[in-house]
Formats: sequence, structure tokens, C-alpha cells
Amino acid sequence: MTPIDVRIERLGKQYRLGTRRNAGSFWALKNVTFDVPRGASVGVIGRNGAGKSTLLKLLAGITAPTSGSIVIDGRLAALIEVGSGFHPELTGRENVFLSAAILGMRRSEIVSKLPSIVEFAGVEAFIDTPVKWYSSGMYVRLGFSIAAHLEPDVLLVDEVLAVGDAEFQVKCLARIRDLKRQGITTIFISHDLTAVEQLCETAVLLDKGEVVMFDASGAVVSEYHRRITTAATETGGFASIAREGALKIAGLTFGGDPSRSRALAARTGAPLIASVRYTAARHLGPVVFELTYYSSDGKTAIATARTEDGGGVNVVPPGGVIEFVSDRLALVPGAYYVGVVVREAATHHVIDWWDGGTNLYVEAGKAVSGQFYMPHTWRVIHAAEATSPPSRADVSQARSTAESVFKTSDPF
Amino acid sequence: MSIVPQATGLRARPVTRIEPPSLRRIRPLRDLRRLTQFVDLVKTLSIHRIRVRYKHSRLGILWALLQPLSMMVVFTVMFSFIRGAPAQAQEVPYAVFAYAGLLPWSAFSSGLSSAANALTSHTALVTKVAFPREILPITYVVAALADLGVASTALGVMMLWFQVPLTPMAIWSVLAVAMLALFLVAAGLIVSAVQVRHRDVGLAMPVILQIWLFATPVLYQLSTARHALSPALYGLYVANPMVGIVDSFRRAVVLNQPPDWTALAAGAVVILVLLPVSYVYFKHAERTMADVV
Repeated sequence: MTPIDVRIERLGKQYRLGTRRNAGSFWALKNVTFDVPRGASVGVIGRNGAGKSTLLKLLAGITAPTSGSIVIDGRLAALIEVGSGFHPELTGRENVFLSAAILGMRRSEIVSKLPSIVEFAGVEAFIDTPVKWYSSGMYVRLGFSIAAHLEPDVLLVDEVLAVGDAEFQVKCLARIRDLKRQGITTIFISHDLTAVEQLCETAVLLDKGEVVMFDASGAVVSEYHRRITTAATETGGFASIAREGALKIAGLTFGGDPSRSRALAARTGAPLIASVRYTAARHLGPVVFELTYYSSDGKTAIATARTEDGGGVNVVPPGGVIEFVSDRLALVPGAYYVGVVVREAATHHVIDWWDGGTNLYVEAGKAVSGQFYMPHTWRVIHAAEATSPPSRADVSQARSTAESVFKTSDPF
Repeated sequence: MSIVPQATGLRARPVTRIEPPSLRRIRPLRDLRRLTQFVDLVKTLSIHRIRVRYKHSRLGILWALLQPLSMMVVFTVMFSFIRGAPAQAQEVPYAVFAYAGLLPWSAFSSGLSSAANALTSHTALVTKVAFPREILPITYVVAALADLGVASTALGVMMLWFQVPLTPMAIWSVLAVAMLALFLVAAGLIVSAVQVRHRDVGLAMPVILQIWLFATPVLYQLSTARHALSPALYGLYVANPMVGIVDSFRRAVVLNQPPDWTALAAGAVVILVLLPVSYVYFKHAERTMADVV
């Protein structure tokens, strides 16, 4: 029988509201029970305030529970960004020693791992510069890189994809997969449903501090989607303008294969198909579907694809799929957060939207440096041939490629 | 590059049990064992404290000297105006007498006031990383003792200047400094942990230290207090461990006298009781300090 590495039993955490004794309290976690067997990966998902970070703090030993217990078999390390413990006046190297020691590494261990930590963070050239001169990206990467070099039996990963730039996030995901392969028990606490689905066999869904589901990660992620969609309709927001559910976006998948919500096959410069599934209760239209790629923190819109040309889409029940086809993906490697909005073509009113936490991971394909990959072809004109102008066919070919790209990916 | 050794399965796997905080479940010896695994961190952080403190000041480490020196000058000048001052009947100039008392006192007062903020000034660490948090106040104690070492050089210079001999009796100062270190750790643990919940402690600290200074024979002799106080009050007076520490340090280094054993023993008893109590209290408060810091 597989030993249980983390046994969580009837765990509860109560927080006091305010400082006064009679100010009241609430349970951030209630009666949480689940086991994590050795070598397993368990995802913990839930909305903000569901108790995810409280669970993380209890598991990591940062704070104590109010009731229940956790038994951890083995060394536990939390893969969190520790850059906040950096001292601005000290150099990168000095800060590595300090932070690594706080995480429990011995000096000899730090000395031997320093080159690898620095390389992973990509700050080789600045390691003897005080960190106050670092860019915020370098700062965060270095902090995270230290945590990534711990040698735990049980690894606790917290919102790893909220850390650093897109390229670094892909690197971090690769590192976590690497650790998984080596048989480390992993608990992955995240908003990032795609990552949870990919990295974890099972997942726990938390809601208002309680475990509402503990099952295969795919099933738990769908349940989470179902819940947030329902909740959104109940609480208003965009949904208040929804036309009594006449049109609903049912899902977003990449790669053109609806059975796969995994999208790690996306590569810069390679073709990508994004499929938006929708259900319609009646005839509607014309409407415009918008597919927007955001930076991984969801804050910056990177690119949008629209079904605007030709007067929008006329929706016919029971629904269908809109495919957005990019012949050559212009996004550079990294993680993107993807959302869909459907608007009425005439008024631009929002009919429905999809914010299911879908993420797209773009891996390195065509070599690219800069903000995006520019689809292009090239040829050599030897001086001897240069006397004849390029043929009309070549020119028009190049122009149409450029147009098709900008039609689908309106950068801002 | 692999960050996990292939032999993971062969390493000893410690079993950790996390339960609600309870004084009965505190295991000070186990916690101390865990602390020994972080010796490197205590070293690194202490050196860091010392370095950062003076890194961007013109006078740098000289500031460690200036605090007791300036107080010594103020009190020497002040008492030269007051007749019948405590400088009477002394084998050494008052400046040397006062400075030898101010050395351990300054280490105590600066050590305790910086240790008081040890946890509250590191909220990011306390709320993000689980490590033995007692390390934070302890490193401030180490830094204060390092300052004591630096400030002692001025005492050496003054003793040469005033031709005060250093005798083998000085060996007792080691005991006094050791007691100072332990007392600082105990007081630092309590004060820093209370400060997390009640910031009043940090605000009250200057007032407390000011009163404490006069309740300690820094600027006057121990015998002055003994003559002035009733036996019962004097018993209370020597229960302040700083009495024995400051007096013994000065006797050993500049007065060529053995310690006053009553005062030193009373202080030692208080410290030995306080130390385990403060550690258990700190470890108990530590469990939930991330919630309130």
C-alpha cells in the first residue's frame, strides 16, 4: 500500500475579525479532510477566499490550525516567491545566501547550488549588484529560483504562474513536472485550472472553507467551472445583461480537438486553433465573438481575435463552435490567460462571457526575440538577378500573409 | 541539472504533526534541536545586521562607540558640577567608571529595543516562510554584543590614558557578558512576541529603558544603592539582572575587584528562570503570530 505523505484531518482555522475580543470571527477552513499518497499530485482550487491560502499557510507551518491536525511524512518545502525577504542594499549573491538560509539550507548546500540558482533565475551578469538595482522581474525570478532548489519530499506549490514573466513561468512549470517525474509528492494550490489539470491527477475543490469535491482533477475543474458560471449569473456582473441565457459560451479549447483542453502543443509560429463552444436557445444575431489573450496575471490584453468581418455571426440553436484559426501564432513563449466575450454586433452589449480560468501555454517554436513573432518569408536576391524586380505574385503573397495575421490578432 | 537527489527514498523522513497551539504540546528541547539546524542562518543574519546597520553612514561602525561615549561625556560633565556626586571615593576617574558601566548597559538597551521590533519589522518573512522565528530577536542580540566588542576598544584607550591597569580579575567580565547575552535573549524573546500583538511595547520601550537605567548601578556605585535602600527593597533591586551584570563587569575590568556575589547570584537565578519561560512563551506565541503581525 502506498504510504500517505500528507494526512489532513478535520482541519479548521478560525480568524478573528478585528482586534477586539467580541469583534466576531469566521472560519477560513472548516472540517477539511483529505489524504495525499506518496508520489501523488493533488491540486487545490477554489475561488478567492475559499481557503486556499489558509490551507497553504497551515501546511507550510506558517500558522497553526484552530482545530484538527495535519501529519506530514517527510520534509516539506513550499515553492513560494521569497523575494520579499530580500534586503535591497545587499547584492544578489548575499541575498541568495540569506534567503536560502531562511528556507533551511545549509551554507555548504547553498555554495554548491549557487551557480544553478543563478542560472535558473537568469541573473548571472548581475549577481554582484545590489538587488535594489534589479528589475522587478529579476527580483522575483531570483527569489523563486532559490525556493525551486530545495530538496523536499513533499512540495507545496503556490500560484507559481503568478510569478515573473511568461518565459520564466514556462520554465517553472517544466521544473515542477521534472520534480513530479522524480516521485515527489506535490500539492498544487492554484487559480490556474489548466495547470492543475495538467499537473495533478486529483484535485480538491474548496468553497467557503470546506471541501466540496475531491476527485479526478478533470472532474473537479469542470465542477468549478459550473459553480462559477452559476454564481456569476446569481450575483450579476456581466451576467445581469445576459439575455435570459439565450446564448451561452460552453467552453474554450485549443488545438482544434474539443476533447483536449490541454494546450501545451501551442508553439510560436505554428498553427493554433482556438474553439469556442456555445449553446443557443433561439435565433440571435448578429453577434461578435471576441477571444482575448491576456498576460498571465489577467491584467494586460495582449491580443484579440474577433468575428467582426462580414457583419458578425448569426446564431442558430442549439449552438455550435466558433473556430479562430491562426496560421502562424504570433504570441511569444509564455503563459497566457484567455477569455471570450460575446457582444451584440449593433450595440456592443455583452451577451455572455467566458472567464473560466483557461490558460494557454505557448512553447518555443520559431526563434523569436521581441514582443511577438512576425510571420514572414525571406529569400536571397543575388546581385546578378537583382536587375529584375520581384514578381507581382511574390508581393501580393507577402501582403496577404500580413493581413491575415492582423485580422486575427489585433494587438491592442 | 537535478535539484532532487536520486536517493530521496533513502533519507530519513521526519514526521511532522501540526495541531492547534497548546502550551502542553510545546517541546522546547525539540525546538532547540531544530534551532541548531539553523545555526548558519543565525550567523548570516547577525553579520548582515551588523553590516547593514552601518553600511551607509559616514562614521560606520564608529556609531557603536559614539552612543556610550556621548552618554559618558554628558554624565561626567554633569556630575562635575554637582557636589557630592557619585564620583566620590573612587579609585578610577569618573569617566572610566561611567564608561565601564555604560558599555554593558548600552548593549542591553540597544539590543532590547531593536529585538522588540525584530518580528514586526519582518512581517513579509513571518507571514511567508516557516522558520524558527526566535532567530530574528536572537540576531539582534548578537549584533548588540558585537557592538559591545567594538565599544570596548574605547574603554581600552581610556584605561591606557588614565593608567588604569587591566588585571586577571577581568576574567569575571566574561561571566557578566555571558549573563548579559542570556538575559537579552530572554527579554528579547518576550518583548518581541508581545510586540506582535501589542505595539505599545515598542512605544513604551524608551520610557522603560530610561527608568531601568536609573534602577541599575550604571552611573553610581552598587554600594550607594545598598546604603540607600532597605534590605527588602535592596532584595528587589538586585533581582534586576542588569544590577549584577553591570556591577560585575565594571568591577572586573576597571576596579580590580571580584563580583558582588549577592547581586550576581540573584540576577543569575532570575535569568535561569526567565530563559525557559520566555522560550516556551515565544514558541507558543509563534504558532499564530503570522495571523496578527
